[in-house]
Amino acid sequence: MTDAAVIGLADIRGADAGRVGPKMARLGQLAADGWRVPDGYAVTASALDGWLPAAARGELARLFSAPVAGHAELTELASRAQALIEAQPLPSRITDAVADAHAGLESRTGHGAALRVAVRSSAVSEDGHAASFAGQYETYLGVSGVDDVLLHVRLCWASGFSAPALAYRQRFGGASPVRVHDLAVGVLELVDARSAGVAFTLDPITGDRGVCVLEGNWGFGESVVSGHVTPDHWTVDRASGQVLTARQGTKRAWSAYDEAAGRVVLSPLPPDLAGRACLTDEEVRYLCAQAVAIEAASGGVPQDVEWAIARGLPFPDSVYFLQHRPETTWTAAVPDEPAAAPDAGATPPEAEPAFDPVQYALRNVFKVPKK
Amino acid sequence: MSADSPRTFPVDEFVREELYPGYRQAFGSQPFVAGPVRPFSLADNERYWLRDSLHFSEGMVPASIATLDDAQTWGAQLGAEIVGVPPTRGSVNRLAGTHVYLGTIDVDTQWQVQARAARFGTYVSPILADFNSYWTMRAGELTAAYEHFDHLDLAAMSPAELWTTLKDAYAFHRRAWFIHFEVMYVLTANYLAFYALAEEIGLSGSQVSSFLAGQQTFYSRTDEELWRLAGRARELGVDAALLHGSPLDMRARIAALAGGAAWLTEFDAFLAVYGQRMEETCRIDTPAWVEDPTPALYSIGAFLAKPAGFDFNAARAATIAERDQLIEEARRSVNGADLARFNAALASNEAANFAWWNEEHNYLIDRRAAIPVRRATLELGARLADAGRVADPTDLFYLFKPELFEVMEADPAVSGGPGRRWADLAAMVPDRRDYFEYWRERGPSLPTMLGTIPDTVPDPIMIEVFGLSGHFLETLRGDGGTGEAGAAAVTEIHGFPAAKGTVEGTARVITTVGDLHLVQPGEILVCGGTTTEWTPAFGIITACVCDTGGSLTHAAIVSREYGIPCVVGTAIATQVVKTGMRIRVDGRAGTVQVLA
Repeated sequence: MTDAAVIGLADIRGADAGRVGPKMARLGQLAADGWRVPDGYAVTASALDGWLPAAARGELARLFSAPVAGHAELTELASRAQALIEAQPLPSRITDAVADAHAGLESRTGHGAALRVAVRSSAVSEDGHAASFAGQYETYLGVSGVDDVLLHVRLCWASGFSAPALAYRQRFGGASPVRVHDLAVGVLELVDARSAGVAFTLDPITGDRGVCVLEGNWGFGESVVSGHVTPDHWTVDRASGQVLTARQGTKRAWSAYDEAAGRVVLSPLPPDLAGRACLTDEEVRYLCAQAVAIEAASGGVPQDVEWAIARGLPFPDSVYFLQHRPETTWTAAVPDEPAAAPDAGATPPEAEPAFDPVQYALRNVFKVPKK
Repeated sequence: MSADSPRTFPVDEFVREELYPGYRQAFGSQPFVAGPVRPFSLADNERYWLRDSLHFSEGMVPASIATLDDAQTWGAQLGAEIVGVPPTRGSVNRLAGTHVYLGTIDVDTQWQVQARAARFGTYVSPILADFNSYWTMRAGELTAAYEHFDHLDLAAMSPAELWTTLKDAYAFHRRAWFIHFEVMYVLTANYLAFYALAEEIGLSGSQVSSFLAGQQTFYSRTDEELWRLAGRARELGVDAALLHGSPLDMRARIAALAGGAAWLTEFDAFLAVYGQRMEETCRIDTPAWVEDPTPALYSIGAFLAKPAGFDFNAARAATIAERDQLIEEARRSVNGADLARFNAALASNEAANFAWWNEEHNYLIDRRAAIPVRRATLELGARLADAGRVADPTDLFYLFKPELFEVMEADPAVSGGPGRRWADLAAMVPDRRDYFEYWRERGPSLPTMLGTIPDTVPDPIMIEVFGLSGHFLETLRGDGGTGEAGAAAVTEIHGFPAAKGTVEGTARVITTVGDLHLVQPGEILVCGGTTTEWTPAFGIITACVCDTGGSLTHAAIVSREYGIPCVVGTAIATQVVKTGMRIRVDGRAGTVQVLA
C-alpha cells in the first residue's frame, strides 16, 4: 500500500499529504468525513519521482546548463523542455496502475468510456517556496480515456517547466531549474456543473469572520477562480444563516465543455443565463453552512472551499465539494492552484505580490512619509 | 590625427591655487562623497560617534587611514548614494588619536528623502527579485580580482610594474568596498522589512534572524576544518606541541615530531584555501593567515583543550530544527493576509538572506580586500629598505597614502627618486610608531560613544549591526557615559536577547582579539563585540555577552549556531563585569546578573 503508484480517493486520508499532496489528501479526508466529492484516484509523488528516463534528464540538464538571459530565451527554453518531457513514455508500473484505476472509475461512475475527468497537479511540499510554486502547475479539465489521462499526467509534470514557472524559480528558487518535482497528480470525475464557484468562511476583503462569502457563475468554476468574470457575490451571516447581501455579477463568459475541442473552455455566456443568479437562496445558505462545517472539521482555520452544483440531480444531492484549503491566499501573489487555462493562448494576469519588501521598508522602516 | 598634431595641450595657463579669487578648495586632494575621514573638531560635539572597536580594536597606522576611508567613509557613502537609502547618506569616520569612531550623515530635507525613496525602489527591487544572480555576479568580480592579485610574482616585477600593482590594489580595494555597502544596504532593507512586518503581525522581530539561520558560510566551514585539524593533531601525536609553547617556533617543533610533516602538509593545504584572511578590517599592518598562521594555531590549541570536540553536524541540525519549528509556530499564530505576507517576506529573505551574507561576505571583502595592498606595500618597502630609503619594510605602514603617492609619482623608478623627500618621510616614522603605540594602549579605556548621544538613530545598519537601539542609547546616557564608579554598583545588565539559554559561569573580559587565546574552555566571554576572528572561541565558551550589537551582529548569529546563550547591546558589560566574576546569562530574557 505505502509503495502503491496509484491510490483510490476512498483510501486517501489527511495524513497522506506526503504521498498525494495536501490538496488530494484534504479531498480524501473530506470524502471520508461524509461530504460529497467527485470520485477519483491519485498518482503518488513517489511513483512520479524520477520517472523521467536518464537520457531525458541528461538532456534537461544540458538545456539548463547555461544562465538564461532574457524572457524570450526563457520562453524558448521552456517550450523545448516541455516538449522533451511530454514526449517521454511513463514507466509501465505507472501506466498499468493508472489503467486499472481508470477502468474502475469508469465503471463506478456508470459513464464508461464517455467519462470526463479533471487531471489536477497536487504539489507535495507546502512550505514557503513550494506552496507558492505549487501555483505554477497546471490542471486539465475534460480529459477522457486512459491514454489521454496518461498524456495529461505528463503535461502536469511538464508544467513545472513552463516559462512562468521557470521565471518563478529563477526569482525565488535560486536552485537549478533541473530539480526533482515533488508532485502527485489527482484524477477526478469531472462534475457536470450547472453552477460552480468558491465559498470563503470569512470575508476575504475585510477579514470579518462573522460572515461567509460566496462567489459563483454558471458552468464550471474555472471562470470564477481564474478571475475572468465578475461573479455573483453573496454575503451570509454565519450565526443566523441569513443572506446579508446578494450582488449579481456581469457574467459575460462561462467555462463550459466544448465537444469539438474535447475540453473545458471559456466561452460567451448564453444571454438567457447572463441576467440570472447562478444559485438559489436555498443553495447559498446550504453552501455557507457546509463551508462553515468544513472549517470546523479543519481545526477551525478559515477555509476557501470550491464547490459545484451538478446538473440533473435533486438538491442537495447535486452539491459537490471539489477542494478546500486554509484561507491564506486571498491577497497572495500566487494561488494554491491555478485555474485551468480556458484558452491555450491566454496567459493568466500578473497578480499583485502579497508583500513587497522594498515598499514596506520605505514606509515602515525608513518611515518615508507618503507624498 | 595628422603626424604633426601636438601631443600636449599645456594646462600651465590655467594652473591656480584658488578656484575663485579668495576660495581655496577644501578637499580637492581627498575625494569623498558626503564627508571625509578627519580628526575630531569641536563641531563634532553636536553629533554622535560610536567607537568601532568591532572592526578596528587596536587603532590604525597611517597607511590604513586610506583603506579605512575606502570602507566606512567612501564605500558606505557611495553605496548609500547609489542605492538611495532614504534616511542616511552613509557613515563617516572620525579619529580619536588612531582609533576609529563611526558617525552617520542624515538626509535632512523632505525632498531628498522622497527622491531617494523613489530611486531606492527602482534600484533595489530588481536585485531582490533575483539576488542569487546578482551576488554571483558581484562575488565573481571579486574572485576574479583575487585570482589576478594572488598570482602575481611581486618579487620578479620591475619597479614600475610593482608601483602599478600597488595602485591597482588600492583601486580594487575601493571598488570592493562599494560592492560591500551596495549589497549591505539592499539586504538590510529586505531584512528590516521582514523585521518590521513580524512586529506588525504580532510576532517578535528579534526572531527574524532565527528564521534565517542554519546556512553554511565560509567561516563555519573554516571552523569545521580547524576542529578537524585538531583531531588530526591528536591522531598524529603532535597535539602537545600545539598546546604549549610559543607559536613562533611551533612550526619547527611540530616538524621535528614523527607525525609532524604529515600534519603540516594538511595544515598548509588548509591555509591555501582558508588562509587568505587578515585579523581585522582595513588594517594593512596585520598579516594574513597564510603569512602568519598564529591565530589558526591558537584556535587548534584551544580546541585540543576541549577533548570532546564539537559536533558541527549536530549543532547545525539543531539550529535548522529550531528554525523550522519557530517558522512553524509563527505560521500557526498568524492567518489570512498576514500569513501570506509572512510567507512572502520569508521567501524574499531566504532568497536574499542578510543573516547569511553578513558572515559570508567577510571572506570576500572585509578580511581580504586589503591583502593585495599589504603585499605590494611590503614588497615595495623591502626594496626601499634595501635602497636605504627607509629603515624597515614596515616603515611604509607609517606613511599616509598621499605621502607615498606623491613621492613615488615623482619618480616611479624608486631607486633614483627624490632622496630628500624620502629622508623627510623616513625621519617621521619613529615618532609615528610611538604615537600608534601610545594610542594602542589607550584603546581599551576610550568611551563607547562621543559627542551627543541621541534618543534614536535612523540608520538601520547602526541599529541592527552595531546595536544602537533605544535601550543601548538610554543606557549610555543613564550611566553618564562610561563612569567607572557608577558601573561598579550595577548587578544586573540588560541587552538584546540574541540567543536563548541560561548559563552560570566565570567571566572572561576580552577587549582585543589579540587576547582571545586567554579564553579558557567553559568560561563566559564578555567583550565589546565580536567579528569573524572571534568565531573559534565560540566552540569553547559557554555564553557570550557584548557591549554592542543587535540581532544581526556576528556574536548573535554565531551563538545561535553554536547553541550557547548570548546577550548583545548591553552598552556597559565590559565595564561592569571583571574577569573571574561569577555571572548568570539569560539569553531569552536578555539579562546578565553579577553573582559575585
